[in-house]
Parts: sequence; structure tokens; C-alpha cells
Amino acid sequence: MRFAGGIKQDGVETLLSFEISAREEALLLEVLRMYPVLEDSHHRIRREGGEAGSDEQRVLEEAMAQLRESHQQKLEELLGAPERIFKDGAGRRRMVLTGQQLEWLLQVLNDIRVGSWVRLGCPDPEQTRDVKAGDANARDVAAMHISGGFQAVLLEAVQ
Amino acid sequence: MRMTQVSAPVTTPDTEKEQKPDAKEGLDRGYLVICWNDPVNFMDYVTHVFQVVFGWPRARAERHMLQVHQTGKSLLVRETFEKAEHYVHQLQGYSLHATMEREE
Repeated sequence: MRFAGGIKQDGVETLLSFEISAREEALLLEVLRMYPVLEDSHHRIRREGGEAGSDEQRVLEEAMAQLRESHQQKLEELLGAPERIFKDGAGRRRMVLTGQQLEWLLQVLNDIRVGSWVRLGCPDPEQTRDVKAGDANARDVAAMHISGGFQAVLLEAVQ
Repeated sequence: MRMTQVSAPVTTPDTEKEQKPDAKEGLDRGYLVICWNDPVNFMDYVTHVFQVVFGWPRARAERHMLQVHQTGKSLLVRETFEKAEHYVHQLQGYSLHATMEREE
């Protein structure tokens, strides 16, 4: 997948276009179906302290649960929309995102990346690159790196 | 944080200038929003999140990102309880390791 440029509507750049192969699309959808990965216990309002039952902590967890629900709904819409990818005049496969879609996709991909990393025991990500397909943690390693790869392309678009 | 080199110069974030108490509000701005380093979030991603959440220009967002990367944490804003809580929720929505601490 690669960023193919912004699309202007009424002179304002409002859409972001990406070239994406059929294999990349399948990979993206596969990794997105893993969402959510990050567990509630990961979100802490304070660095230290045992305020697990505090109001602040509860409000944070409720906010994260609402966000997760909203993301899941948007994901279902995305996954159920066959028109999300189309062929342009030159026959290239394109995916077009609004700025808002890109933002929540970044959040979803990072949940998968960070959540997979947590499940792996928070290793140095570079130390996980030699994992073998049959390894018990291969799925988490793959999810961490694949979601990171898609994130990098999306970030290129916003820069 | 991971990834790529960033061309912005390394400078000390201007947190003092940003966080003078707001006399008009008359509110306690003694809550600190701090972002902590981790090895998994991309540097460009953290910069982007700071830009989106705080509306900062890229150079300022990069300064804070680099401070997180190099010193382990960055004080992002000093705010009232409600605003600090709001920012932490926003940052954690992006899966950044951000917390709200009471200023000592």
C-alpha cells in the first residue's frame, strides 16, 4: 500500500487516496478484524498508585469502552462496504479515506500494535523480527509488525 | 518510541511559557499531563497525536516527542482537573502512555 496523494473537493484537500493491492487489502482486513487487542487494564489514569477503583480510573475505563464501541461500529461499516476499494481509470486499486477515517484507523491499528506488543510481554519490537511461523506468539508478532506497516503509510499521508 | 530520524532540532520544550496560571479562569491548574516513553509507538505517530490532540504545530509536537524519547517522559500541559483528564483520555484513545499527575 502506498499514499497516492490528496484529492481536492471544492479546492480543499479533503480525501486521501492510497494504492493498495488485493493481497494488501486482504492483509489489512485480516489485521483489522483482530480489533480490539489492548485490554482495559492497560489504561491507567495515574503512573503510580493503587487507584484501581477510583472515580478517575472508572471514568477513563468508561471513556475507552465507548471509544472502542464506536471504533467497532465504524470497522463493521468499513468491512461491510465493498466499494471501499475501487479501480481508477488506469486500473489501479484505490482506497480513499477522509481525514476522520484516517484518524480512527490510526487509533485502531495502534491498539492492535500496542495490544499485540503487550501480549508478547512488552519486548523490544526489533528483537521479535526473527519469529518463525509455527511459534506460539507468531500471530501477535505478525499483528504488531503488519499494523505498524499500515500505520507508517497512513502517517505518510498526514505529513 | 520507534522509527525514523526527525530533522527538527533538539531543544528544551517551552513548558514554562505555556503553563502560566490563568487568572481569568480562577481555577486550579495544578494537574500535569505527562507522556511516558515506550519502545513500541512510532516517533512520527506520537508527533502526529500531539498535533491532533493539542493543535500544536509540528515543530512543537516534535520537541515534546523527542523529550519523551530521550528523557523518558515529557510534561505536555499543566491544566485544570477536567482539562487534564480530557487530554489523558484523548491520548490514551491513541494508545499512548499518558497519565495525569497532581503537581506537588
